[in-house]
Amino acid sequence: MDAGLIPAKLFECQVAESRPVGAYRQLALVAPEIAYLAHPGQFLMARLAGPALDPLLPRPMCVHDIDSDLVKLLIDPVGKGTAALAEAEVGDRLSVLGPLGRGFDMEGEGPAVVVGGGIGVSPLLLLTRALLQRGREVRCVLGFRNRSQAVAAGLFPGAAIDLLTEDGSAGRTGLVSEPLPGCLVREEGNPAPEIFACGPDAMLKAVARIAADCGVRAQVSMDTHMACGIGSCQGCVIPGPEAYRKTCIEGPVFDTRDLKWQ
Amino acid sequence: MAVNLKTALGPLELDHPVINASGTFDVLEADTVLEEDLFARFPFAAYVPKTVTLAPRAGNAPPRLYETSAGLLNSIGLANRGIEAFIRDDLPRLALLPVPVIASVAGEATEDYGVCAAMLDGRDELAAIELNVSCPNVELHGRALGLDPAGTHRAVSLARESTSKFLIVKLTPNVTDIVEVAAAAVDAGADCVSLINTVHGMVLDPWSLKPVLGNVTGGLSGPAIKPVALRAVFLVSQAVTAPVIGMGGVTTAQDALEFLAAGASAVAMGTASFRDPLAVTGVVAGLAELMEERGIGSVAGLSGAAH
Ligand SMILES: Cc1cc2nc3c(=O)[nH]c(=O)nc-3n(C[C@H](O)[C@H](O)[C@H](O)COP(=O)(O)OP(=O)(O)OC[C@H]3O[C@@H](n4cnc5c(N)ncnc54)[C@H](O)[C@@H]3O)c2cc1C
Ligand SMILES: Cc1cc2nc3c(=O)[nH]c(=O)nc-3n(C[C@H](O)[C@H](O)[C@H](O)COP(=O)(O)O)c2cc1C
Repeated sequence: MDAGLIPAKLFECQVAESRPVGAYRQLALVAPEIAYLAHPGQFLMARLAGPALDPLLPRPMCVHDIDSDLVKLLIDPVGKGTAALAEAEVGDRLSVLGPLGRGFDMEGEGPAVVVGGGIGVSPLLLLTRALLQRGREVRCVLGFRNRSQAVAAGLFPGAAIDLLTEDGSAGRTGLVSEPLPGCLVREEGNPAPEIFACGPDAMLKAVARIAADCGVRAQVSMDTHMACGIGSCQGCVIPGPEAYRKTCIEGPVFDTRDLKWQ
Repeated sequence: MAVNLKTALGPLELDHPVINASGTFDVLEADTVLEEDLFARFPFAAYVPKTVTLAPRAGNAPPRLYETSAGLLNSIGLANRGIEAFIRDDLPRLALLPVPVIASVAGEATEDYGVCAAMLDGRDELAAIELNVSCPNVELHGRALGLDPAGTHRAVSLARESTSKFLIVKLTPNVTDIVEVAAAAVDAGADCVSLINTVHGMVLDPWSLKPVLGNVTGGLSGPAIKPVALRAVFLVSQAVTAPVIGMGGVTTAQDALEFLAAGASAVAMGTASFRDPLAVTGVVAGLAELMEERGIGSVAGLSGAAH
């Protein structure tokens, strides 16, 4: 599997399951081709199928999990687009373009430190499964605002988990940036640890700084407003060291050294 | 009854009346991302790449997009790699498309319209040149030339002196009287007018109550602006003899039918391609059905039916 450049297609997928995961909603879509092709960190452009013009555009959604023919989304209903997706019922059809973008590069050998903030945990579940399958040591550091969001930490299988909440209602109180440096200590004779992260901009900025300070590689999945998802509109750009980079086709996963962190 | 979807913009013959709007479909990127072989089966009847300027432009600070009620507000800021890179890197590849290619150019300085037109004049890959007169103009402190008839006339005259290519002028709706601006464009030598570009607008973040876009204001597109666009096409197509390309919210076959009836000879789809990159295919097929149901056999027989 390559980390990107698998040709994407437009599908109409039926919702097979919908269930709450604390503050979030998990949808399972019948999407065998995407389930077969998608790589951890890739995303889909998804909306309710049909002629309704509001919401108008699909929303970028990570491939959260794959279970045989089912592709799962984890949705944080923050606005009208995500709310409409979260309200989709079993049997409803979604218009889905994907798989899109460049996912995580999993070729490294060092212990993986998977860092998630809020809904940013969405792509990290499939990633964690894939890393474990490759025999890599995985430690997850997951931070949430509160207990209701933190329910999503229960989705993570078979990996050591550090759980934090900002309000202290579950796990330790604090931000993921606090325990992170302690997880990056390189053991004598072992390859250096490597960070895989997704979450709010402020968290990713802290991750980039910590990675640089500790001299480890970090890959981060960036969240921007997107219209097309296929490189046409230039709406989703973020600053790189020299020029703007398109999140949709150059990302959404970037090495922190390939972005500019003000 | 067999419906004939062929249409013409002056010497440009199109297999059907639906083209893409500049800046909304990047065939070179889409061809690598989508499974579809776009070079073998290109769904639009002509291809208009993103507007290019003489010097490269980085574009505006993000965020550059926000969805509004049935619309999209954007402030991309004409990000492009410059006309030289376009001619060197993109044109040879675009020449392989099975449809006419229409370059879109804009000038940051007024004289750039002439310079860019001259640079493209000898390029056989191009069937036409579209002038985007909505680019912020340096001599006017960022005001666009296309915001008044005199500025539009200057830009078009300079381009007309520099090229014999079929010249399309893309009009902005952010003017007092778009008919007057269209007339100025045609008077200065435009062979065709396309309209409308995006409508000035802004959105506030619901919590911080500050502008969402990095550029503070932006341009509105999508179904929300269709009535504005339809009126402009209706009025302009009656006032000028040059053919009109209608755009602004075209999303369904019914929308395309209405723009043609309002007086357009072809229509362009922009924001709708973000909703579904191959939406054009359904619009073309649907248009033929809608025409058949109404006993309209050709685009020529439909164009201007509302007048
Ligand atoms: C590659 C990628 C993958 C993503 N994966 C997921 C996922 O798996 N699950 C998920 O729930 N979300 C995901 N997102 C984020 C999701 O796409 C946005 O939250 C969504 O587009 C917002 O649309 P809306 O209509 O719900 O909100 P809007 O009505 O557009 O906005 C509502 C509020 O949210 C804020 N907002 C809007 N868009 C964003 C954004 N992109 N980031 C932060 N704040 C925003 C606005 O400022 C506003 O205050 C992903 C984004 C990207 C780029
Ligand atoms: C993201 C985006 C980028 C655009 N870029 C350009 C451009 O580079 N040049 C141009 O002439 N028009 C540009 N436009 C305007 C469109 O070509 C079109 O005139 C407008 O969006 C109305 O059509 P629509 O409602 O179908 O999108 C852009 C529009 C959008 C939404």
